Amino acid sequence: MKPAAFDYLAVESVEAALEALARAGGEAKIVAGGQSLVPMLNFRLLQPALLVDINRIPGLDFIAVEPARIRVGALTRHHRQETAPELREHLPVLSAAMAEVAHLAIRNRGTLGGSLSHADPAAELPMMALLLDAEIATASPSGGRRIAARDFFLGPLATGLAEDELLIEVAFARPAAGSGWAFEEVARRSGDFALAAAAVTLRLQDGRIAEPHVALTGVDETPLRAGAAEALLDGEAPGAELFAAAAEAVRRRVQPNTDLHASADYRRHLAGVLVRRTLEKAAAQAAGGRA
Amino acid sequence: MTEPVETLAARPKSVGARVRRTEDPRLLAGQGRYVDDLAPPRLLHVAFRRSDMSHARIRGLDLEAARGAPGVVAVVAAADLEGLAKPLVAASRMASYHGTPLRPLAEGKVRFVGEPVVAVAAESRYLAEDALELVDIDFEPLGTVIDPEAAAAGDAPLLHEEIGTNVLVERRFRRGEPEAAFAAAAHRVGGSFRFRRKSPGAIENRACLAEWDAGRGALTLHSASGIPGIVRDALSEALDLPGHRLRVVAPDVGGSFGGKGSLYPEEILVSLLARRLGRPIKWTSDRLEDLTATSQAFDEIVEAEMALDAEGRVLALRAEVLGDTGAYSIYPWTAGLEPVQVVGFLPGPYRIEHYEAHVRAVATSKAPTGPYRGVGRPAAVFATERLMDLAARKLGLDPKEIRLRNFVRPEDFPYKIGSGIVWDRSGFTECLEAACARAGYPALREKQRQARAEGRWFGIGLASYAELTGIGSKISVAPGMPINTGTETAVVRIDSTGGITAAVGIASHGQGLETTLAQVVADELGARLEDIRIVQGDSDAVPNATGTYASRGAVLAGGAAILASRVVREKLLRAAGHLLEAAEADLEARDGRVTVAGTDRSMSFREIARAVYSEIGRIPHDKREELEATRLYDPYYGTTSSATHVATLEIDPETYRVTLGAYLVAEDCGRIINPMIVDGQVHGGVAQGVGAALYEEVVYDADGQNLTASLVDYLIPSAPEVPPMTVLHVEGELPATLGGFRGMGEGGTIGAPAAIANALSDALAPLGIGIDELPATPERLFRLIERAQQRQDNQSTGEER
Repeated sequence: MKPAAFDYLAVESVEAALEALARAGGEAKIVAGGQSLVPMLNFRLLQPALLVDINRIPGLDFIAVEPARIRVGALTRHHRQETAPELREHLPVLSAAMAEVAHLAIRNRGTLGGSLSHADPAAELPMMALLLDAEIATASPSGGRRIAARDFFLGPLATGLAEDELLIEVAFARPAAGSGWAFEEVARRSGDFALAAAAVTLRLQDGRIAEPHVALTGVDETPLRAGAAEALLDGEAPGAELFAAAAEAVRRRVQPNTDLHASADYRRHLAGVLVRRTLEKAAAQAAGGRA
Repeated sequence: MTEPVETLAARPKSVGARVRRTEDPRLLAGQGRYVDDLAPPRLLHVAFRRSDMSHARIRGLDLEAARGAPGVVAVVAAADLEGLAKPLVAASRMASYHGTPLRPLAEGKVRFVGEPVVAVAAESRYLAEDALELVDIDFEPLGTVIDPEAAAAGDAPLLHEEIGTNVLVERRFRRGEPEAAFAAAAHRVGGSFRFRRKSPGAIENRACLAEWDAGRGALTLHSASGIPGIVRDALSEALDLPGHRLRVVAPDVGGSFGGKGSLYPEEILVSLLARRLGRPIKWTSDRLEDLTATSQAFDEIVEAEMALDAEGRVLALRAEVLGDTGAYSIYPWTAGLEPVQVVGFLPGPYRIEHYEAHVRAVATSKAPTGPYRGVGRPAAVFATERLMDLAARKLGLDPKEIRLRNFVRPEDFPYKIGSGIVWDRSGFTECLEAACARAGYPALREKQRQARAEGRWFGIGLASYAELTGIGSKISVAPGMPINTGTETAVVRIDSTGGITAAVGIASHGQGLETTLAQVVADELGARLEDIRIVQGDSDAVPNATGTYASRGAVLAGGAAILASRVVREKLLRAAGHLLEAAEADLEARDGRVTVAGTDRSMSFREIARAVYSEIGRIPHDKREELEATRLYDPYYGTTSSATHVATLEIDPETYRVTLGAYLVAEDCGRIINPMIVDGQVHGGVAQGVGAALYEEVVYDADGQNLTASLVDYLIPSAPEVPPMTVLHVEGELPATLGGFRGMGEGGTIGAPAAIANALSDALAPLGIGIDELPATPERLFRLIERAQQRQDNQSTGEER
């Protein structure tokens, strides 16, 4: 479990990183926290010719609160996203989800950009990007672009990032004031990848659900937004039957994999349970109760 | 039984105290020295190309490209080692037994994924692993042997053709008239209990470093091993090197749990290569190698049935046990180690007159199984304690009551169980009563009634067990093994500066032996704890050693240290008698000083030692004697440790997540040397049992690939998964061992799987679900619950019609 030899370059600017990526012609990998990449190197699952270390690039570790969105830099560590007061206040669902990401030592190293670029189908951050209609900003030799989260995740460990492109920031949409939220996850142990997790934001307008967002992870090839469930919920009065119907819609929609830790059937079952539970909590919270 | 039974009132002062572990400041501050910390000049590093096939013939090997790779010094396969070492075979006295040769590298064929085939020695581990990629092996697949029942059938591919069967051991036990007892029984309960394969998962992976001293023709092997003495003796035979030119040292070792308790191919390989290349050679296992090639354990199917009379007294027990032992019969313990002991311990702490059992150990194309904390007992206790609960349910008795009715009672000791093991005496009833009293058992049952009324799934599980520890020379710790593991030697010495060194043959890998043995020696000598150093894990320290395993350290090494210390104390007092001009009978040794009773005349050990060794004329020239003694201790029989565990838990009725609640252990380990260390051992053992009950499972697919070869997939419980624990020490009547000690390092792992299985079954009882397979993963619970709910739905539909 020793990596094959590679060159290592620590860059101090986005431009230098892009230049190195371009020069390597697809043979380079970006390293930030290294929490997923380094084990893959040690298993020799990846044998890049060059590692481009972006940890020293200034200005990529930030949280900026704007009226409609919150921008977070790609180098922002998980632990900061878990504990930052501005995120706890404005995106509490994200902070809550971050507490379930691995263990503290890993959260101290792992980064937002790294987690999204790695795109594990059971990870929490990609689900949060979907839930919160995030826009992912990149830099590239051609100038960079902004990609909607729903167009970003293409499959297990596969994203729309090009080989010469660097993820630099993520803008999460702020849920409307008074929104309720909930996040629930089932994992084998504390800190493990989710067997299934669900997150919800919604608000109540005249006693009816508005802007329901329902996202899941661990139950399909990529994290997903449960569009059918959201359509069922939108404009309806919250209630047990409605939430059961939404959960059923999710169960019908998801196509989980069977692996060592859970069968597709169990994951589908969990998806339904967790969607119902998160809807109940989020609705109660939006109604002013404390879930 | 020559020693009088010691009473608790005679408790001396260091033994019994919560002394802080003296090794911890070193180990916790990063000042320990593990094998991988050792880096002699000109060191070479070894990496192994291991089989990626489950069972295959090696048709050809191409090593040329690897030999030419940068930094590579040697690339060897089995053919390159011919004649360098005699193959070792774990021997047994059992008639049905078939041994398998232990070779440093696979010869002719491979029998499990992870078996070493080619070794590369290079200037760094990185370069060695680069060269591994250039090794080309031509395998001819021979058919996997994965399912143990299929492996035992006549038409399975044979792993060892020369043996003619995959069944490596077969044994039958019988006492009384089980058929008649079953025929006459008022009640019968039975089940098929499946305990899944485990990996020991020590925090320090295995590692070994061999150094050849060409000038002296001597080999030193440093190995992260729990059995340096056994390794020394085995290597002496394999390499034809006598002990004065062969030293095996286990320095600081970071856990074993059984995984470092056997001789391994890698230890032989580095020894051979160091001698051949004349350079020190080290191999440090990585986690992938650890999870695929360190001995595994606990892979058993136990079909068992119990017969009871109308009052719930167990009349008879019968069992059919199949042990999946993997590809080889492990050295020196043999393939019988685990499965035969399952059958040995199945009757448990209960009076069961009639017993019948049949056990087979079957070779499969998986990593070899070996010792693992609890050996045989966790699977046996799981089956027996599930049967006790099934019987209680059937008879409408409380699980506590049925155990009380069946325990071996104080007046029955010594009691021989159906398999032939003798319980000398132990607090079976006392542990159960103490556990239930502290746990508030009736209140727990009330809590359960309330929880059920609220639709919550709350369960309480009891498990009581007995185990044999501190086994002397009457039997071997591994059934049928011809090596004597029942004696232990201690060398206790006061040197010319007054320093006290006690050397023993056991090897600490986390047990705190440097502290507990020093406590024992301190009391016997009347010395101060800080003046004593314990030397352990070094084959040069004592003439004969084996190691630490089978819960023997406190009993055997403690006993030997007591005997040797007593002799040294006599010598010390004789010398002090001359120096203080007093009769020996008037002298007392305490806190490192010898005092003439009733006076202020005294000398420190240091002053006495100086006078004895260094000062002219202080002691009559014909009265000088070394302040040293070597003594051997053999408890002959073993002694019985026992405990009752009480587990509580709650299952989420929708996600089926299990949350463990308060956990209680009441145990009887005889006289306690250090309660803090006993607590720690119980805590760690229970944590490991939690792993066995809920998380840990080595999974091989149909192709023989190990699917759990990283700690992402082999799930060891971490701190949040381990419940809060209370440990009660029931010091009943002490055993006849010297010092009154019993072994206690394994008990936590023995009781916890059964207690948790019973608690899960108790929580799920309204659904008619019993847990008969461990670990009870969420997926397994999901399937059981879905089936049960379908059953209930079908029933209610039927009723409606």
